[in-house]
Amino acid sequence: MTERIPVIEGLFTEGPEGPRLLGSRCVTCATPYFPKSLACHNPSCTEGRMEDAAFGPRGVLFSSAVQNYPPPPPAKYDEPYRPYAVGMVDLAEGLRVLGRIDTPDPSALRGGTPVELSVGHLYRDTEGRDVVTWQFRPC
Amino acid sequence: MTEVAVLGVGMHPFGKFEDKSVTDLCRSAVTAALADAGVSWREVEAVAAASSRFSGGKGWGLNGNDVVEDMGSTGIPVYNLSAGCSAGGNAFNIGCTLVASGLHDVVLVVGGEKMPKGFIQTSGVEEATDPEFLRQRCVGVSGPAFWGMLCRRRMEDFGTTEEHLAKIAVKAHANSVHNPYARFRKPFSMEQVLTSPMVCFPLRLYEICPVSDGAAAAVLCSARFARQKTTKPVWVASSAVATARFDDGITRHVAAASPTGPTLHSEAKIAVEKAFERAGLGPRDMSLVELQDNTVYYELAFPEEWGLCAPGEAERLVERGETGPTGRLPINPSGGFQSFGEATTAMGVFQVAELTWQLRGEAGGRQVPQAKAGLGQTIGLGGNATAVVLKR
Ligand SMILES: [Zn+2]
Repeated sequence: MTERIPVIEGLFTEGPEGPRLLGSRCVTCATPYFPKSLACHNPSCTEGRMEDAAFGPRGVLFSSAVQNYPPPPPAKYDEPYRPYAVGMVDLAEGLRVLGRIDTPDPSALRGGTPVELSVGHLYRDTEGRDVVTWQFRPC
Repeated sequence: MTEVAVLGVGMHPFGKFEDKSVTDLCRSAVTAALADAGVSWREVEAVAAASSRFSGGKGWGLNGNDVVEDMGSTGIPVYNLSAGCSAGGNAFNIGCTLVASGLHDVVLVVGGEKMPKGFIQTSGVEEATDPEFLRQRCVGVSGPAFWGMLCRRRMEDFGTTEEHLAKIAVKAHANSVHNPYARFRKPFSMEQVLTSPMVCFPLRLYEICPVSDGAAAAVLCSARFARQKTTKPVWVASSAVATARFDDGITRHVAAASPTGPTLHSEAKIAVEKAFERAGLGPRDMSLVELQDNTVYYELAFPEEWGLCAPGEAERLVERGETGPTGRLPINPSGGFQSFGEATTAMGVFQVAELTWQLRGEAGGRQVPQAKAGLGQTIGLGGNATAVVLKR
């Protein structure tokens, strides 16, 4: 079986309850952060005590576009290149996150579409491993 | 505070110049600006330069030092400003401040760039702590995809059509025919734009700007010095620099902490509003606007965000041709980034040159009739933005 590795360690998890983004939240002002932040960046925040938090899976697509041409480095992709959809997703926890949108018809996506977090293939590395990342799919 | 005049401007034509260094391009722009101002190199008291990420500057963004060494080392102070695509605007702001404070009478502002081929690679490091690296590696969102997402949202909110987008590109190229410094000096038809390859749906190749090599320079001076040289100087009504607000709804990294919705491009909005306030002028006083049109989408979004027109009105202005040089709200009569290509850090100074020519009535076939005041604006990586208002 092909070995499956996350694109970067510690950004997301695939637990029994399904995929979650691993970030943090300010205990003082409730601002969510992804990835984890050691400090709160809200200029109105008085204290900025941080705790770990997991986000997802529910969200709404704010907008999307299609990456029709191969993106420049440090992006990585399989050859031959296949266009994919990218979007900004507003998670229920009050976080707007970038992610690929897993859909057969990228140009048909519309803002306001409910989506859910998933983990999927990004590229195959030089050792033949399946490198995965967080993404969203319409639900 | 003394008033600041733009005494002279100069530009190297934009394009691809394999056999020239960025310092060569800058020398050409600086020499032209000095000649235009009637000032010798030895009269320049300080240099404010845009730091390039891609070329020259000894790899440390010391592009102003390169220019001084090239023109002749006179021992003057050099300020190198790094602010992504806003660097030229930042350099202009510092140049103005040096004159306005009374510290110097004559200051040179310069920005030049030689761009690597292809699409701009925003991240320079492969580190998991670098937000740009995460954005590109984990998701793969290029600059045009980012603009595409914002444009797509606008299409849904305001009914913007592919024809609106194409018409903006056609207008840009119609202007560029009259600009000897532009890289692409030929008219484009609607059909040419609408059949150009899709780069990042909904944006096509001719609806985003390419990258170019180019340079621009401006000689700034005090009111006292200006009156010795000319009877009709162009004045700096204001210059402002800003950064993005925390509550901005754009995901600049992989996530935005506060998706408050309509607050987008807050850095540009703050800079422009500050510039209007400091100038004592408003959107209605602008005879023309030179804005950063990396994509035609910005020509729809920015005018509204800055109060130049009402939300949803930008498409109507485009339909009626009101953003052309003789329209109600002339935008980018130079031909803009669409026709020049972006020499990233040069662009803030490029805009100052065009505004100056327009305000002097020297813009030829792209002249905005009776131009009295104009706005220039840049926006760059890191949440940087600048705005400048020049007036007669
Ligand atoms: Zn906080």
